[in-house]
Amino acid sequence: MDLFAERKIYTVSELTAEIKRTLEDRYREIWVQGEISNFKHHSSGHMYFTLKDDQAQVKAACFRNTNRYLKFQPEDGLEVLIRGRISLYEPRGDYQILADYMMPVGLGSLQLAFEQLKEKLRREGLFEAVRKRSLPLLPRKIGIVTSPTGAAICDMLRILKRRNASLHVLIYPAKVQGPGAAEEIAAGVRYFNTRNDVDVVILGRGGGSMEDLWAFNEEIVARVIFKSRIPVISAVGHEVDFTIADFVADLRAPTPSAAAEMVSGAREDLRATVQSLRGRLAQAMRLQIEKRRSSLERLSRNRAFEVAPNKVRELQQRFDEATLRMTQAAMRFVTRVRHGERVLQTRLARVDLNQVIARKSNVLARLEQSLASDMRARLKAERSRLELAVGRMDALSPLAILERGYAICRDPQGTILKDATAVSRGDKVDVRLTRGTIGCLVESVEDTSGPSVASVSAPSENEVSLQGADRLARD
Amino acid sequence: METNTEMKLKDFESALKSLEEIVSQLEGGDLALDRALELFEEGVKISRFCNAKLEEAERKVEMLTRGGDGRLTETPFTAEDAGEA
Repeated sequence: MDLFAERKIYTVSELTAEIKRTLEDRYREIWVQGEISNFKHHSSGHMYFTLKDDQAQVKAACFRNTNRYLKFQPEDGLEVLIRGRISLYEPRGDYQILADYMMPVGLGSLQLAFEQLKEKLRREGLFEAVRKRSLPLLPRKIGIVTSPTGAAICDMLRILKRRNASLHVLIYPAKVQGPGAAEEIAAGVRYFNTRNDVDVVILGRGGGSMEDLWAFNEEIVARVIFKSRIPVISAVGHEVDFTIADFVADLRAPTPSAAAEMVSGAREDLRATVQSLRGRLAQAMRLQIEKRRSSLERLSRNRAFEVAPNKVRELQQRFDEATLRMTQAAMRFVTRVRHGERVLQTRLARVDLNQVIARKSNVLARLEQSLASDMRARLKAERSRLELAVGRMDALSPLAILERGYAICRDPQGTILKDATAVSRGDKVDVRLTRGTIGCLVESVEDTSGPSVASVSAPSENEVSLQGADRLARD
Repeated sequence: METNTEMKLKDFESALKSLEEIVSQLEGGDLALDRALELFEEGVKISRFCNAKLEEAERKVEMLTRGGDGRLTETPFTAEDAGEA
């Protein structure tokens, strides 16, 4: 009777329930690719978004329990591949995809996570070049955070041994891959920062896949490197591998071996620098002495010193000898130290290192000590000899004698008068004082058995010519 | 002078720097002989310090291990301890 008697009439709930069953049975495990839009990360931890292509869209959700394992951060515009199932929400009749796995299309998810964290930290300024510190010239102790059984530590120790690096290496054993690795690496950097004797920290790990190196891309490691008081070298993987740690670290070593080279490399250069400075030091001192020697020579050629030519020559010679010895001592000092080092180094190459090191430093210390005290004593002796020589030359200078009130009396020919009887009444004589010359007439001559005395007068008409003392010296 | 030198000798970097300064002062010329000798002696002293630092040969490799009390202690480590991985 009823038009609808043989027809099944659904209630909304029934219909929805049936569709739900059909859909959910049919689409139990599907893969779908699309672009994320309207992405919301709810405070509950669940993620809600729309997956779309150019003609259609479908709602999607990724619950907290699932999304916390994602390496990357989903965002609008990102093309993703989702594995999940269809679920229908009856109260609203909406259906959606519940994602249990999600990966970015194009880039791998690790790669994407890497780019995202890199961008975030870059914006925060963790990679700024200005905050990067340079390594100390001569590190004493280096801390290495690495696996004690890995290839990296072997490589580093081999290089340090080959480079003969005088370093104290402290290894902080850490897992360098897998769960918990990032935390252990961070703890290592933090530990070295609690000590005050470690000059450089190296984070080391051999090569591997991006997954293997992942710990060095984690934020916790980046932050702890950034906070480190001690300069950090990141030495992870091969030359082509870049990690976040590389960007934050003060220095990136392409490989662990390269890091070992970096901390041991400077010593030989520095040795050469110090050696050349020593050479220049001795040379400069030699020049200082040489300069004085030649000015003394100039002075001694001055006729004013004819008063005591032998004395001057003798002093000149003593001065020369003193300066020569001093220069030689300076040069010998440098050569002997160099030679000593060379000899020791040659021996070092042949003998077991550790045994020789102790002996070498002893010998060198003793050698240097004796050289230095030798040198000091010599310098002291030569210096007082030099001072004495200069002082006596001063005392002997006729200028100094005149300064004390003595005068030099000469006849008109310029001959210095030493005997009063060489002149007679009425003769002209010149009397040179420290400043100027007096032209005089002899009034009387007394010939005593002691030093001769001539009484002279300066005639009023005679000019008293004032000449500078330096003029006298030039005469 | 003495304290001055001691101060300069606190680390290799600053010692090298003052050695460079001394050498260029001495090379610079017009100095009293006393001052030149002073500089020379100081230069010798500093270069000795630099060489000593360069030769400081504490070649040691140690690994930190955690004891029962949770404290880290240093124990000798040789390359042979490291397996191939």
